Amino acid sequence: MSSTIIATAVVVLAVFLAGRYIYKEKKKGSKCIGCPYCESCSKIDKDS
Amino acid sequence: MRIAFAGNPNSGKTTMYNALTGRSEKVGNWGGVTVGSKEYPIKEEYTGGKEVVAVDLPGAYSMSPFTPEEGITSEYVRTANPDAIVNIVDATNLSRSLFFTTQLLELGIPVVVALNKSDINEKEGTKIDVKKLSEKLKCPVFETTSTEGKGLKDVISNAIELVGGGQSAPYVQADINLQNKAEVDAEDRKRFSFVNDIVANVEKREMLSSETTKSDKLDGVLTNPIAGILVFAAVMWAVFWVSQAWLGPLVADWLVGWIETFQEWVAGKLENSPAILSALLADGIVGGVGAVVGFLPLVMVMYFLIALLEDCGYMARVSAVMDPIFKRVGLSGKSVIPVVIGTGCGIPAIMACRTIRDERERRATSMLATFIPCGAKIPVIALFAGAFFAGAGWVSTLSYFFGLLLIFLGALLIKYITGYKYRKSFFIMELPKWKMPSLKFAFKSMMERAKAYIIKAATIILICNTVVQIMQTFDWHFNVVEEGAENTSILASIASPFAILLIPLGFGVWQLAAAAITGFIAKENVVGTLAVVYGLTAFIDVDELEMTGGANNVAMATGLTSVTALAYLFFNLYTPPCFAAIGAMNSEMKSRAWLWGAIGLQLGTGYTVAFLIHQFGTLFTEGHFGNAFIPGLIAVAIMATAVILIGRKTRAHFDEKYRLHRDGKSGAAA
Repeated sequence: MSSTIIATAVVVLAVFLAGRYIYKEKKKGSKCIGCPYCESCSKIDKDS
Repeated sequence: MRIAFAGNPNSGKTTMYNALTGRSEKVGNWGGVTVGSKEYPIKEEYTGGKEVVAVDLPGAYSMSPFTPEEGITSEYVRTANPDAIVNIVDATNLSRSLFFTTQLLELGIPVVVALNKSDINEKEGTKIDVKKLSEKLKCPVFETTSTEGKGLKDVISNAIELVGGGQSAPYVQADINLQNKAEVDAEDRKRFSFVNDIVANVEKREMLSSETTKSDKLDGVLTNPIAGILVFAAVMWAVFWVSQAWLGPLVADWLVGWIETFQEWVAGKLENSPAILSALLADGIVGGVGAVVGFLPLVMVMYFLIALLEDCGYMARVSAVMDPIFKRVGLSGKSVIPVVIGTGCGIPAIMACRTIRDERERRATSMLATFIPCGAKIPVIALFAGAFFAGAGWVSTLSYFFGLLLIFLGALLIKYITGYKYRKSFFIMELPKWKMPSLKFAFKSMMERAKAYIIKAATIILICNTVVQIMQTFDWHFNVVEEGAENTSILASIASPFAILLIPLGFGVWQLAAAAITGFIAKENVVGTLAVVYGLTAFIDVDELEMTGGANNVAMATGLTSVTALAYLFFNLYTPPCFAAIGAMNSEMKSRAWLWGAIGLQLGTGYTVAFLIHQFGTLFTEGHFGNAFIPGLIAVAIMATAVILIGRKTRAHFDEKYRLHRDGKSGAAA
C-alpha cells in the first residue's frame, strides 16, 4: 500500500516538475529545452 | 556602462566575452560563429564593483560591411554609442587586423586594444613592441590570452578609466566621395600602407608569412577537392566508429546496467501495486527515459570528438572543400557553415543561415540543413545499427553522407522549382591556424550537451513516454486494455491510420508509426516510444559489452528485416525534424509558402527514400518487391507530379521577374 502511494506521488511529482520546467522555459522564449545555446538563439531571433 | 567587443572574425571575441561574463556562448575556431549581438554584465572581479555590460559583436574586417553580420557590428558601434570599445586584435595577424582598428579609432569612442592569442606569438617567436604600438595607435594596448584569462583585467580596468574621454585617431580618412570607387580604393590603399608601416615598426617575426610551412602543405591536401573529401569521409567514419561502435557503447554498457537494475528494483517494489502504476513508473518513466539516457555516452563521445575537430581548425578546412560543390548545386558557399553546425543540433544550424544574403539560398539552406543527422538522432541510429547491423560504425557514416547527398539533390530540386538566375557567389573564409585542440574546451562542450540531453530526457521525453504509456494502457472508454487486445488502445487507434500509409515502406504497424510520430516532438522519442510500446529497455547488452545482444530484442519484437530497418531509420532521419527546428525554419524563412514547401519536401524525401530502400532492398535480398509496391509507386508518382507542376508554375513567372524586354522588344529601343 505504502509503495503504491509513494509511486503515485513520484509519477505525479515527476510529471508536474517536468511540465513546469517546460512551461517556464517556453515562457522565457527558449526554442529547445535544455540547449546550452538556446538563449543566444532566441536573442538572435529577436534581433531580426 | 557598456563596452563593445569588436574585432575581426575568429580573433577570440566570444572567448573573451565568455571569460569576462561567465557565459558559455558558442565559440569555434573559425570566423562567423557569432551572427548576432549579445550582452551580459561583466563579473565584478574585473570591474572593481562597477556595473559594466559587455556587448559581444559579430566579427568584421572593416566598417564598410560586406556581410549582414558585419553590418550588425558597424551599425552598433556607429549608432548605439557604447561607452568604450575593446578592439580584439588577432596578434598573429597584425597587419590584417589593424585596418579595422584604425577605423574604430576614428569614431571618437575610447578604444582599448587587446592583442589576443599572444601565446601563439610566443610559440612562433613573433615579438610585438606593445609600448610602441600603443604610441602609434594613440590608445592603450595589452597582450591577452582569452583562453587563460591573461591580461583581461588590464583591458577592462583601462576601458573603464577611459570612459567619458575622447579618442584621438592616428589616421583620419580624407574627405572623399564615398560613392566614387576609385577614391574609396585609393583611400583604402593609403590606410593599408599606414597600417603596414606601423606593423613594420612594431613587429619582429621569426617565421615569415611568405614561407611555405608544414601547415600550408597539410592545408593543400585537406582543401584539395578530391583528397579533402576522402579525408573528410575517413575522419567522420572514425568519429562515428569511436562514438558508436567502440568507446561509446563501452561506457553505455555500464550505465545501462545501472538503469536496468534500478528498473527491476522499481518493478519489484510495485509487485503488489496496480498494474497500471507499475507500467507507468517502471516501464514508461524509468524504462522509457532510461532507454534514451542509455545512449547518452554515445552522444557525449561524439560531441567531444566534434568539439576537438572544430577547435583544432579542421572543420574550417571542410568548409573550404565543400564550398565549390554547394555553389554548383545552387546554394551559397556560406551554406557549408549551417551544414557543419548541423551535426550538433539543427536549430543553431538553421539560425546560422542568417548570414546568407540571397533570400532563395538562405531559405533553401535552412530547408535542407536538417538532413544532416543531429545529436538527437544519434540514439535512433545507434539503436538500429546495434539491432540490425551488429553495431557497425558505417551506419552513422552512411547516414551522414547520405544526408549530404540529399542536401545536394534537394538543392538541385529547389533550383528546378524556383528557377535560378546565375550570379557570382562569394564565400570568404579565413583558414584559422592549426592548433592543438583544447581538451578542456572539448570536455566543457561535451558536458553542456550532456546536460541538455539529460534535461530533455527528464522533461519532454518523460512526459511523452508517460502519455504514450497511458494511451497504450487504456482504450477510448478508459478501460485497461487486455493482453492480446493492444490494437484497441487509444495509441493504436490513433497511429493505425498513419501505419497504413507506411505499408509500402515496409513498416506499416501502429507501434512503429507511433514512434515516428512522437519523433517530431524530439527525435530521441523514437527510442523512448519503441521502448514503451514494445516493453524493452536494455538496448545495450550488459554481458556482451556491446549493443548487439540487448538490441537484438528490438529486431525480434519489431519483426523488421535489415532492409526495412534501414528504411525505417532513414524515414526517421530525413522526414521533418523536431517541432523546435521547424519553428526555427519558420523564423528564418519568413514565408508560409516556403515553410510548407520545406515540410512537404522533407516528408516527400523521407517517404521516397524509405520506399526505394524497402522495395529495391527486398528485390535484391528476396528476389521480389516488398508489400504494396504499386500503391507506394503511385504515392511517389503523385509527389513527383506535384513537384513538376509547382516547378512549372513558379518558373513561368521567373523570366518575367528578370526580363529586360517587354513583348519581345527592347525597352532601350522603344
